[in-house]
Amino acid sequence: MDFDNGKPIYLQIVDFFYENILIKRWKEDERIPSVREVAMMVEVNPNTAIRAFNHLQDLEVIYNKRGIGYFVSENGYAKVLDIKRKEFMQHMLPDVFKKMILLNISFDDLKNTYNQQENEKK
Amino acid sequence: MAQEFSLSRIGQFIRRDLTIHKSTFITGFLVTAVLLFLFCILNMVWDKQLGLEEFFGIFGLFYIPMGILFTFSLFKEFNDTKSNHLYLSLPISIPERLAAKWFTVTIIYTVAFSLLAIFVGMLAIAVGTVIFNANFNVLSIFTEHYWNVIKVYFVIQPIFLVGAITFAKNRIGKTILLLGLLVLGFLLFNFILFAIFNHSYGVFSGETIGSEAIDKAGEDLSVMGKWFYSLLFGPIMLAVAYFKMTEKEV
Amino acid sequence: MLTVRQLNFYYPNSRPVLKSINLDLHKGNIYGLFGKNGEGKSTLMKIMTGLLFPKSGTCALLGESTKKRNVEALQHVFFVPEDFELPSLSIATFEKVQSPFYPKFSKEQFYELIEEFKLSPANIISKLSFGQKKKVLIAFGLSTNTKVLLMDEPTNGLDIPSKSQFRKVMASAVDEGTCIVISTHQVRDLHSLINHVVILDNAHVVFNQSLETVSEGLWFGKALNPEEPSILYSESSFGGKTILTRNDREETEVDLELLFNGVLSEPNKINTVLKNIHHGTGV
Repeated sequence: MDFDNGKPIYLQIVDFFYENILIKRWKEDERIPSVREVAMMVEVNPNTAIRAFNHLQDLEVIYNKRGIGYFVSENGYAKVLDIKRKEFMQHMLPDVFKKMILLNISFDDLKNTYNQQENEKK
Repeated sequence: MAQEFSLSRIGQFIRRDLTIHKSTFITGFLVTAVLLFLFCILNMVWDKQLGLEEFFGIFGLFYIPMGILFTFSLFKEFNDTKSNHLYLSLPISIPERLAAKWFTVTIIYTVAFSLLAIFVGMLAIAVGTVIFNANFNVLSIFTEHYWNVIKVYFVIQPIFLVGAITFAKNRIGKTILLLGLLVLGFLLFNFILFAIFNHSYGVFSGETIGSEAIDKAGEDLSVMGKWFYSLLFGPIMLAVAYFKMTEKEV
Repeated sequence: MLTVRQLNFYYPNSRPVLKSINLDLHKGNIYGLFGKNGEGKSTLMKIMTGLLFPKSGTCALLGESTKKRNVEALQHVFFVPEDFELPSLSIATFEKVQSPFYPKFSKEQFYELIEEFKLSPANIISKLSFGQKKKVLIAFGLSTNTKVLLMDEPTNGLDIPSKSQFRKVMASAVDEGTCIVISTHQVRDLHSLINHVVILDNAHVVFNQSLETVSEGLWFGKALNPEEPSILYSESSFGGKTILTRNDREETEVDLELLFNGVLSEPNKINTVLKNIHHGTGV
C-alpha cells in the first residue's frame, strides 16, 4: 500500500476498510483480517493498525468477538455508506464547487459530462 | 538468574566451533596425515624400523605446530571486526567460552590427532613391512615418549591461547616473539641467580666455565621450569585469557 | 526495559561520540534512531549490546549493566549490525549451531521468515549477496524472540522488493513484549513502522518523542501563507513543506524526513511546542 503523505496512516487504513466494505469484498457479519494480518498487508506498525481498528469500532462499523477476531457489523455497509456520503458532501463537494466557480462550469455542463460518461460505460 | 556456567552450553559451543571450522580441521588433518606418512616411510628407509621414540619425535613435529595453528584459527572470529559482534553477543559466559575453547584445542584435538597419527603410523609400518621388509612393531600411546610430547603441548598451549586473543594481526609471529623473549628473560634471570649464588666459587674465572654456567642455568630451568610452567604458568595464562576476553570490545 | 543514564563515549584520540545520553526504551515500541552519518547511532547500539563499554555513565538492560555481558542479559538482546560476516555454512547449519543459545528461539518462525525472504535453508551463506546475508541475520534475530532487538541500518543493501518484505516481516513480528530499535538515515524506508523517534545530533539526544505526541502537536504540509506565525520550520524551496504548530488543524501524517530536518535546524522551537502539549494548553 502506498501512503499519501498528508493523511495519517491509520485513516488511510480506515479508508482501505471502507473500500472493501463498499465493494462488498468484506460482507456484513463476516470475519475480517486480524490486526497483525492488516499490519503485514499494509506494512505498518501494529500499533497503527490497532488505532484504525479502534476508530472503526468506535464508529460501530466493525465489532470484536473476544478470542475470535473482528467482524463487519450487521449494518456495517449502511454505516460506511453514510460516512462516505457525508465525507463526499462535506469535504469533496465544496472543493468541486470552488473549482466550478473558478473555471465557470455550470451545472448543465456537469450533468452533460456525467451522462456522457454513463453512456460510455454502457 | 541464568546459570553462568552450564555444561550443555559449553557442549553447544564446542559443537559450534567444530562446525564452523570443520573445513580448516579436515584440511589440516589431511595434510598432516600425508606428511606424517611420508616422514614415517622415510624414517624406515634408513634403519628398516620405526621405533616408538622415532615415531613420537615425528608426531611432536606435527602435533604441536598443528595445535597452535588450530588455536589461532579458533580465535579468528573473535578478532575479526566483521564477525566478532555475533561472537561476543552470543549468550555464553566467558568462563564457558574459555572452557570450550581450551577443551577443543587440547583434549579433543589431542585425542583426534593421536588416533589419526597412530593409524597413519601403523599404516606406514605395514607398508614398510611389505615394501622393504621393515620390522613390524605396534605403536602405542602407553609410552613415556608420547606423554612427554603431550605435556609440552599442554604447557605451551595456553600461551598461544592468550596470544590468539591479544593480537589482532600477525598473531602467531607476535606470540612466538613474545614467548622467545619470555624464555630468554627467564634464562637470564636463572643465570644471574646462578651467578650470584656461585660467585664465590669462582665459576666465572675461565672461559669454558662461563658457557658451562649457561648450561647449568638451562638445567635449572628444566627443574624449576617444570614446576613453574606446569603448575603456575598454564593457569596464570588462562586467567590472563579470561581478563583479556572480559575487556574485549568490538 | 533499556535504561541509559549519563552515558559518555569516545573512541581513542577522537572527539566525543556520545555525551550525557539519557534514554528509556520500553517494550511494545519500534524506535527509530535517527542521526546523520557518524553521529553515534551504531556506537549507542553496540553499547546497548555490551559490545562496547561506556566511558562513563551506565547502560542497563532489565536492570543489568550491559557491559558485564551476563548470559541472562545477552539472552534478551539481539543485534543486527550494519556490516558483518557470517560463517560459511548453510543457512540450516547456521541455525543449528547458533540457535541453541537463545532459549526462546523458534525454528518454525525462522524457516517461515527464510521462505518469506525467498531464501532456502540449503543456501550457503558465504555465497549469498550482502542483502541476502542481511536477511538471514534479520530472520535469525527476529526468531530469537529476544526482548530487545537492535538493527543498525537494516534496509541498507536491500533492494526495493526486499524493503517491502522487510516491513511486512517487521509488522508481523512485533508484539507487546518486545522493544525494537532501528537506526537509519534512510528515514523514508521505515516511516510506517516506527512509532517513536529518537534523534541524535552532535553527540546528544536532541529529540525523543512518540509519534503520537508529534502528530498531536505538529502539523505537516504546505502552508498556504508563508508568513503564517505558527510556522516552526519550512524547507527553503519554493512551495516547500513546512512544520506548523497543529493547534486546531486536522491531524496529518508525520513526515519523518521533514521532522528530522526540522529538529536539526530548530530543535528548541519544536521541542518546546511538544513539551507544552503535556503541560497546560487546554489539557
